Amino acid sequence: MPKLKTKDKHIKKLAEIVKGPNSILYLKEDLLAYDCDGFTIHKHLPKAVVFPKDTEEVAAIVKYCDANNLPFLARGAGTGLSGGAIPLNGEVIISLVRMKRLISVDTENRRAVVEPGFVNLKLTNSISDRGYYYAPDPSSQYCCTIGGNVAENAGGAHCLKYGVTTNHILGLEVVLPNGEIIEISSDGIPDAPGYDLLGILTGSEGTLGIVTKITVRILKNPEEKQTVLAYFDKVSDGSHAVSDIISAGIVPAALEMMDKIAIEAVEAAAFPVGHPKDIEALLLIEVDGVSAGIDEQINQILEVCKRRNVREVKVAQDEQERGRWWANRKTGFGAMGAISPDYLVQDGVIPRSKLPEVLGRINQISEEFGLRIANIFHAGDGNLHPLVLFDAKKPGDTDKALKAGSACLKVCADVGGSITGEHGVGIEKKEEMRFIFSDEEIMAQTNVREVFNPNNLLNAGKLFPTPGRCIEMKSDVNEPLSS
Amino acid sequence: MSVRQSDVMKEAPCTNQSLSNYLWDDAPDENKWADCVHCGMCLESCPTYEQTGQEQHSPRGRVHLIKSVAEGKLEVNEQFMDPVNQCLDCRACTTACPADVDVGGLIEEARGQIRQAMPLKGWKGRLSKFFLEDLFPHHNRLHTFGGVLKFYQKSGMQKLVRHTGLINVMPNHLVEMESIMPEVKVPVRQKFKDEKVIKAKKEEKGTVAFLTGCIMDVMFSDINESTINVLTHNGNNVTIPEQQTCCGALHVHAGDRKTGRKLAKQNIEAFKDADKVIVNAAGCGCMIKDYPELFREDPEWKEKAEEFSAKVEDVSKYLHDTGYEKPRSEINTRLTYHDACHLAHGQGIREEPRNILLDIPGVEMVHMPNADRCCGSAGIYNITNPEMAGAVLESKMQNVPDDVEMISMGNPGCMLQMAIGARKYGRNQKVVHTIQLLDWAYQKDAQSEQGRGDD
Repeated sequence: MPKLKTKDKHIKKLAEIVKGPNSILYLKEDLLAYDCDGFTIHKHLPKAVVFPKDTEEVAAIVKYCDANNLPFLARGAGTGLSGGAIPLNGEVIISLVRMKRLISVDTENRRAVVEPGFVNLKLTNSISDRGYYYAPDPSSQYCCTIGGNVAENAGGAHCLKYGVTTNHILGLEVVLPNGEIIEISSDGIPDAPGYDLLGILTGSEGTLGIVTKITVRILKNPEEKQTVLAYFDKVSDGSHAVSDIISAGIVPAALEMMDKIAIEAVEAAAFPVGHPKDIEALLLIEVDGVSAGIDEQINQILEVCKRRNVREVKVAQDEQERGRWWANRKTGFGAMGAISPDYLVQDGVIPRSKLPEVLGRINQISEEFGLRIANIFHAGDGNLHPLVLFDAKKPGDTDKALKAGSACLKVCADVGGSITGEHGVGIEKKEEMRFIFSDEEIMAQTNVREVFNPNNLLNAGKLFPTPGRCIEMKSDVNEPLSS
Repeated sequence: MSVRQSDVMKEAPCTNQSLSNYLWDDAPDENKWADCVHCGMCLESCPTYEQTGQEQHSPRGRVHLIKSVAEGKLEVNEQFMDPVNQCLDCRACTTACPADVDVGGLIEEARGQIRQAMPLKGWKGRLSKFFLEDLFPHHNRLHTFGGVLKFYQKSGMQKLVRHTGLINVMPNHLVEMESIMPEVKVPVRQKFKDEKVIKAKKEEKGTVAFLTGCIMDVMFSDINESTINVLTHNGNNVTIPEQQTCCGALHVHAGDRKTGRKLAKQNIEAFKDADKVIVNAAGCGCMIKDYPELFREDPEWKEKAEEFSAKVEDVSKYLHDTGYEKPRSEINTRLTYHDACHLAHGQGIREEPRNILLDIPGVEMVHMPNADRCCGSAGIYNITNPEMAGAVLESKMQNVPDDVEMISMGNPGCMLQMAIGARKYGRNQKVVHTIQLLDWAYQKDAQSEQGRGDD
């Protein structure tokens, strides 16, 4: 083992546990790259980053941290947008990116087993020649890990028809916060009797355990796929078209919307497709399934768009054109860099029928705070992504952005929606949990956490409001602090 | 702030009040990192992140570190140098980035600061100085060096070294390099020394100036000859401006931006009268298209550099844009195409070379997965960072289809590296430059015409 440049006894011990080459980082210069994830507003240096190669190493690290009262958390590619992998308490980061094997593919039973560091899109790429794919497709699928997807219960453009990550998880191997290794539905048989532990763990944002092996459902490629792009002069026409398509009984695989500012960004960035700059909204609609009936659905969609005063509507002529449209949409968040130094993405959910109203209110918030807000969203399932554009270098701008983002979520909650659809709560939205949960409901959830994570050393300070502020603000939610 | 630090601050040429720990001119450009929103879309495109899984070795991590020095959170020290220097400069992240962040430009600017803060010392410093300052910029010395290599190969010394075990004292990666060293022939700059203009063989379209490159003309002068043949075959007069020099890519990659600028100025002057500048080495082409970037703080030269860069074109793109004769003779071969980073990511040239290959009768092209993944050559990276370069090469070779006879590409550095790969992993593929294949087909055309003429 190479000589360590530290006298810290914990670092030395951890270095003995992770045996691969360059498997621990502990110098400030190296750690700095881990001070945040895709959410950049809060930053903190970890104590160390360790790179285990297998479940046993993960368990040994966790045991050591638990025994020595060291806070710790798991991290994948660090593309999360709510700060779930940020080491707020100077955690030991357990990076799972070297556990990136595709362990097995079982097409007969339509399932595959992967390690947590396996990249989402690589699964589809590895099985597409056999005619299969993995359905959940978050926009970051080129680089995000399936382990991270499980933690955040990631969604994606095609979740409208196929469901989010939790609908595709058949079994998990988990290292509990005391270092014990457990298996849940390791045989991959769905709907096991007893409590739905898979359901509790999926979307627990890394606060209940560390997933080290995942059995996922894989699907047969649809026989056919058609994609429509529609440009609208009025946002309200676009959102009515969304409702009309769903009311017509069509379940598109994806139904996406972008507004004017979002279009400005994607057209200024790396994957432009030549959208007109003066439209107020565009819809990207995809239908798939057995070939019979697809044309009919497409015709119905075109009809709806025309009835709603569409300026231009077209069907993708080939796979390349479809690919260009999707690349343009899926890089939408990153594209904000082309028109703004910083952005904060929110993740509200609303009933579809409230779309025009909510967009109007977001517009008001934008004016009130003097910050531009772009909107990219999964319109089909009412999952809104307002992107608040700001400049962290301008004094006060970050604070304003946070407040504007929170105000957007308040609107979503007020119309009967929710504060997150797929990005998770993390650090970003933990105070906003109060918009939708009472103190009792929050306590009920922290009680569940206590069963798994009694010392609260694993990813503390995420998902639920901080107790300090809680007491100050109202009631008596009593969150256990790490002892 | 300690006394020593404040002294350094005083001596440094930049005396503004900022927190930045970049103390020299030409510091990494704030506008470049302002575009990065830390989304992570670049991660999987990066060969060093693929190998290490560590984010300080990812584009996003590097940008974060470079920014942190400017914010005063980090200093320019060894620990900062490591991730910045481990970058292959392959620019795959630039292709992947939704916001077009110029990571490559930031890396080179940061290396400029590192080089000044920590000048190279010891044998590495001497070696680097020998290659970068004493050899590459001087084409006469390069030719002499080429002559020495040729002597080494022809005199039997190569045999002697290989057989006597003398070779065993060399580090492994240098042995690998020695083993694939192409046979040194006469550089075109010598061969065509007395010809002011090499005349078009067909009806004249115009005149182009040819940048011969330094390594290219010593190690691969046959490719340079092929390039001249193909250009003249398609109606272009070719000139080889006498005053041209090394493009400076290796210097700029190594952080020696001062020499980079000196060479750039010499080339801009040397090609002043040319309408079109043709390059057949992706690395050189990308560098000289990037000259304006070197003169960010010198408006006069920046303008000249922009004017010059606009005239530069890779030979495959030039042929594609101006038209070329499709050969009639068959070259029956199965081959695959490797995208040189500085052609695909650096210049956006992907389809043109493939189309040239497909226009040659008898060529069957087999798809290479991840064809635009770096091979690990990256200038002299394979000499300075042999371990990482070896790992990157290994994963590249895994993607080369088994059943092809040739791997075609458009960059000499890649050719050397892929030849090492083919040898090391027991593959028998021949490594060729795209333009060579076209030239061979033309030569076959000429032979068969001659054959008919003889009848």
